[in-house]
Amino acid sequence: MKKVLLTTLTLFVLTVQADSLDGSHNWNNGSSDSFKSAIKAAQTGYKANLAVNMAWRDTGKMIKKARKLHKAGKNAAAITLANKAHKQTINATAQTALAKTAGPRF
Amino acid sequence: MKKLITTAASLGLLVGMALADVASDQKAFIKHFKTIFPSVEFADYTNGVYAVDQGSREQFEEILDGIPPYEEAVEKGGKEYLKFGLNKCNSLKNPAAARVKHPYFDEATQQVVTLESAIKKCYQQQTGKKLGFKKGKIARISAWISDQAAGQKINVKVESVGAKAAYEKGKIFFYAKRGQFNMSCADCHVYNAGKKVRADILSPALGHTTHLPMYRAKWAGMGTLHRRYAGCLKNMRAKPLKAQTEAFRNMEFFHQAMSNGLEITADRYRK
Repeated sequence: MKKVLLTTLTLFVLTVQADSLDGSHNWNNGSSDSFKSAIKAAQTGYKANLAVNMAWRDTGKMIKKARKLHKAGKNAAAITLANKAHKQTINATAQTALAKTAGPRF
Repeated sequence: MKKLITTAASLGLLVGMALADVASDQKAFIKHFKTIFPSVEFADYTNGVYAVDQGSREQFEEILDGIPPYEEAVEKGGKEYLKFGLNKCNSLKNPAAARVKHPYFDEATQQVVTLESAIKKCYQQQTGKKLGFKKGKIARISAWISDQAAGQKINVKVESVGAKAAYEKGKIFFYAKRGQFNMSCADCHVYNAGKKVRADILSPALGHTTHLPMYRAKWAGMGTLHRRYAGCLKNMRAKPLKAQTEAFRNMEFFHQAMSNGLEITADRYRK
């Protein structure tokens, strides 16, 4: 009996907690906070790449498009794109490190 | 006195090293092309891709035998040179000498000065107006100026410590992989020159700068070297830099130096 009560209580607490989350906190749609951190990371990386002339062609466009999607409420797509842009900046940063020692291979 | 001599000797050594580096870089550069195109003579590299592919060469010669599409533009460039008073600027008053002199390293500004940057500066002084860097007027004027030096040889001098640093930066830019395709200028135009990319044959970097600005069929008009640089970067999915930025000027410095000794040509048609 004690076990049943405890399980019921736990389920009740979890249900109340889930109901108390607002509409924007939709796990399937991506949270606004997740977008903010993803786009910030992408933007920071892109700026750093631009400063050393190593930015990739489409990163800026991807960041712009991600912001548009976020504005339109398509958070999941916006986060995916922001993460892709961020990944591009990481790869460009890796190229930057290698570029310092670039030279002929003959 | 001893200190002075040591300093002077060190400086002399540094300058000597700079000169030696350019010469040895070019020697290795030419040797590489000699290996992949054993039958192409050094002087023929002024013809770019047409030096390494017979089929393309025949088409090129047919175009030159007719009325080359750049002829009118170059003539117009000559008229514009006089119309805008570019002959009044010291840097451009002798057009043939101006082409041979540029690019050079300006010790006062510690920057590489290209022919197009000198044209733009002079144009602004004479007209008070701005001038673009990639196509149109600047390409026509620059092409006409280059035509006046046709037959003379490229002779880029990398003599000072500052010049050497700019040259090295340009060299690194040329060999560094960039963009989503992770490719360098050298990947196409050095290591894979002569090979096909879709329907196009990759031109050898040796001699690239002898025929610029050029008329390019793809552009249906004239364009400068920096227009081509930007296009190449875009193709590699790297963000293109603006024409005449320091990085591009430094790369031009290196790129032209690799063609030292090759004749400047007025045959400026490319596919």
